[in-house]
Amino acid sequence: MKDTPIIVAHNIHRSFGTGDLITHVLRGITMSVQQGEFVAIMGKSGAGKSTLMYQLSVLDRPTEGSLVIDGVDVLSLSESEQTHFRLHTLGYVFQDYALVPDLSARENVMVPLLMRGMTWEEAKQKSDTAIDNVGLKGKYQNLPSQLSGGEQQRIAIARAIAGSPKIIFADEPTANLDSISGEAIIALLDCLHESGQTIVMVTHEEEYAAGCDRIIYMEDGLVVREKKRA
Amino acid sequence: MKALRLGFLLGFRQVQRASLWTTLLIIFVMMFTFLNLIAVSGILVGLIVGSERAVRENSYGDIVISPRNEENDILETPTILRQLSSYPEITAYSVRYEGAGQLEANYKERRDLSSERDVASVKVTGIDLTLEDNMTNLSRLVVDGSYLDPQEEGYILIGVYYIKEYAEQYGDIFETVDGVKPGDTVRLTLGETSKEFTVKGIVQSKVDDINLNTYIPEREFRRLFGRNDQNADQIVMRIKEPEKNAELKQTFLQSGMGTYAKIQTFEESVPKFLADIKNTFNLLGTFIGSIGIIVASITIFIIIFINALSRRRHIGILKGIGVEAHAIEIAYVLQAALYALVGSLLGALLTYGFLIPYFDANPIKFPFSDGILVAPPLETLYKFFILFLITLIAGYLPAKLITRENTLNAILGRK
Repeated sequence: MKDTPIIVAHNIHRSFGTGDLITHVLRGITMSVQQGEFVAIMGKSGAGKSTLMYQLSVLDRPTEGSLVIDGVDVLSLSESEQTHFRLHTLGYVFQDYALVPDLSARENVMVPLLMRGMTWEEAKQKSDTAIDNVGLKGKYQNLPSQLSGGEQQRIAIARAIAGSPKIIFADEPTANLDSISGEAIIALLDCLHESGQTIVMVTHEEEYAAGCDRIIYMEDGLVVREKKRA
Repeated sequence: MKALRLGFLLGFRQVQRASLWTTLLIIFVMMFTFLNLIAVSGILVGLIVGSERAVRENSYGDIVISPRNEENDILETPTILRQLSSYPEITAYSVRYEGAGQLEANYKERRDLSSERDVASVKVTGIDLTLEDNMTNLSRLVVDGSYLDPQEEGYILIGVYYIKEYAEQYGDIFETVDGVKPGDTVRLTLGETSKEFTVKGIVQSKVDDINLNTYIPEREFRRLFGRNDQNADQIVMRIKEPEKNAELKQTFLQSGMGTYAKIQTFEESVPKFLADIKNTFNLLGTFIGSIGIIVASITIFIIIFINALSRRRHIGILKGIGVEAHAIEIAYVLQAALYALVGSLLGALLTYGFLIPYFDANPIKFPFSDGILVAPPLETLYKFFILFLITLIAGYLPAKLITRENTLNAILGRK
């Protein structure tokens, strides 16, 4: 499985501004991610790692380059087709959990499932299973405000995995957590990876990246080196 | 369908988790907007309807019989009255004889014959005292003195607009006599004939036709005016089911009564200008109410916009995880719909459950009318739909503005 590329990015550029005030954040990135691989993107602040992840996760459009995910040229898709693609193919874990505060833990997980067209009962069942799988059995009705940071991030992971996406993107998922919660989240991602899940994670903490199949180091908008797990 | 279902979940939960006081405030704004829309035009129209109601109760009744256009009086009045007595639908009626004369007061105290006489040109109506009172409750309109007694002669009732003390508040628009009160003697002159009357009472009504009238018993009228043929000038009647007056009118016409007189329902007898004023007031009320709708729609727009703006990042994240913009827009439109629906429902409950019965029981005292609140259900429903539609648009626009933003910019809070 790991020999099949699921993400193929070629010469990705991303710049902001116009004229003399143009800032080149990504300056020609070519990379690929294999199916089932757990990749960490690391670099100093301003290296462009988050910007790269936004391009790979189809949340932003590169200024130049090509991007094929799961065999689909995603840059040729319209805005609404990209939304549809994200719903069915990608899962997201954001730095600050990004749960909808008005919805319960269960409902937060149900949102993408209902959008996929599942019935209420199906979505509820899948949501509860996902919440159970991240170790929060029984917290279905809790509002995000009634959960700790670590628990909220677990719900965010449950939301990301509930629809069985092909790739999970995690943007510094441990940044707002204490070390114990952070380790638990990484353990959870490791566990998902072991079951064959492709994961792309941005982090600035070496210890959390250590368990990944591959670490991509970035500097000034370029991939400067890669390190594969021995 | 899936967008609607998800939109409903998001919208419902937002309302459910929102501050109770904020929600109540928005609903109150919507309720008062609805009331503004209904009540302003309702009271303006109610002024005219109240006036019409007073005319119907105190003067015209449900059916009015008057002289045909080419005649001076109702032909064959005794025949018509005999015919009318065979209709059980008629609960009360009155026969009126009308003429014009000159009322003079204070002539006994007038020492200087070269000074101006205290006179006013007046309308004189001869009535059967009992029939008229049964028909219009004229005795209840006496504000000073008492009603005429069928056993007495030489007494007169005078409408307030003919008496200076009552009429001067309206300026110098009525011909009046000065300081006349019950017990005073006045002189009624018709050409060369004069007769002295004692003022028995002063009558006041919301109906100008009564305020600008004098009443004497029918037999004295006929003597004074030389009307020996018994042909009346007006016959008015009240029937058991007033809403069926058009049907009864048709029956009268089929019986041939139309040969002798003009027969009109109350609605037909109302002057056209009153109907025009009613329509004008309705338009005016709708115009004022429309300003209220604009204010409410701006309020809803601002509320939804601030709400959506404060959730901009969450909206971005929802789009990021694959939720269609439609679902998010539906969530906000549903919120606006809920506010409009609950606000209007409360407004309708207040209108039909309290305001209309209250104003029916306690009309607003306007000079020419006892104003009530008029809100025909169909018209209210129509206005509700307009308010509802505009609220939906006011809820949709800000949501659209926020959801069309770049997803990543919304997530990162970038401009």
